[in-house]
Amino acid sequence: MSASRQYLIFLVLFAFMAPFFAFTVTTSHSEDVAASAIEKAEGVMVLAYQGVLEAERAGADVSRLLTRLNVASEYLARAHILYRVGGLDDATRFADLCFETAEKVKPEADRLRNTTLVESDMRLRFTMTESVVSVCLISVAGFLSWRVFKRRYHQRVLGMKPELVSDES
Amino acid sequence: MNLDDYRTLFAATTLGLVLIVALPTVSMVVSIPSGAERFSELWVLGPTRIAEGYPFNVRVGEQYRLFVGVGNHLGCSAYYVVYVKFRNQTQPLPDALNAVPSPLPPLYEFQAFVLDSETWEAPLSFTFLNVSRLENSSFVSELSINDVVFSVNCPSKWDLENSGFYYQLFFELWLYDTSLQRFQYHNRFVGIWLNMTS
Repeated sequence: MSASRQYLIFLVLFAFMAPFFAFTVTTSHSEDVAASAIEKAEGVMVLAYQGVLEAERAGADVSRLLTRLNVASEYLARAHILYRVGGLDDATRFADLCFETAEKVKPEADRLRNTTLVESDMRLRFTMTESVVSVCLISVAGFLSWRVFKRRYHQRVLGMKPELVSDES
Repeated sequence: MNLDDYRTLFAATTLGLVLIVALPTVSMVVSIPSGAERFSELWVLGPTRIAEGYPFNVRVGEQYRLFVGVGNHLGCSAYYVVYVKFRNQTQPLPDALNAVPSPLPPLYEFQAFVLDSETWEAPLSFTFLNVSRLENSSFVSELSINDVVFSVNCPSKWDLENSGFYYQLFFELWLYDTSLQRFQYHNRFVGIWLNMTS
């Protein structure tokens, strides 16, 4: 077989196989892109959730943040499902939507946590001052009223005259 | 009453008042742990969102509706995943004794963040799309859940005792563990039996 003929056969085979290779490479690339987008979205979701938990522990009302995270979680669940059934482009799209929604939650949760901590600190200081002042006032008032009472008690006791009782027996 | 009795009465009254006014501050500084039990709930409701009318005898091409719900009593917000799985009578269920999930792959999934003492519910509709029948066995190839089509390839033998081809659609509850930084099976599952009639 001449070299030119071998070259021709190789060329024809390549022409037939090229679409298959191209499809495999594209699918593999789409799969990588989707997996990476999902992983990125999962990371952001976890960070946002941790931020929300910290804000909640600080005493903040996190219901509004959780509503937004629930929207993001629906996107992420959709991305997982589509990835499983091979809808890689849609999976990537939903993972990106999840990322966009969740990435705004973490800074807001941090802000909410800091605000709540400052507010609760102020509230604690105010309540503590109020309690200390009240305790002092009550103690002083108790002591003074006790002294007044004691004086009146003594006056009353001292003001009493002994009663003479005739012993007729 | 003599003077000593009066002194005791004054001291006790003053101390009582001091404790009352100090109570708000003490309650802000000292947190008393709640003795309440921590747990999560998982449930499935029928098409009218009550615990009845569950689909049982199912046909190909007909749509059936359910509601799946989660209740959070963990004392803080929780991040849940509910995996929807499909099995025949011989395939494994989760192992409740060892808190191990079913090894079957999930088809559909729900994710939800639930506040403490709150609940979450979502609708789920499913349709059998491709089922073949050969003598005493049935084979489900495709199942659609919330308009997403899944290849399930699940065979079932005729159950002589209960007269039917039985499948189960079941739901597993997973919880995000912040210390492990991953989802963990929360040892809760619930499912409904389905008899493939035609």
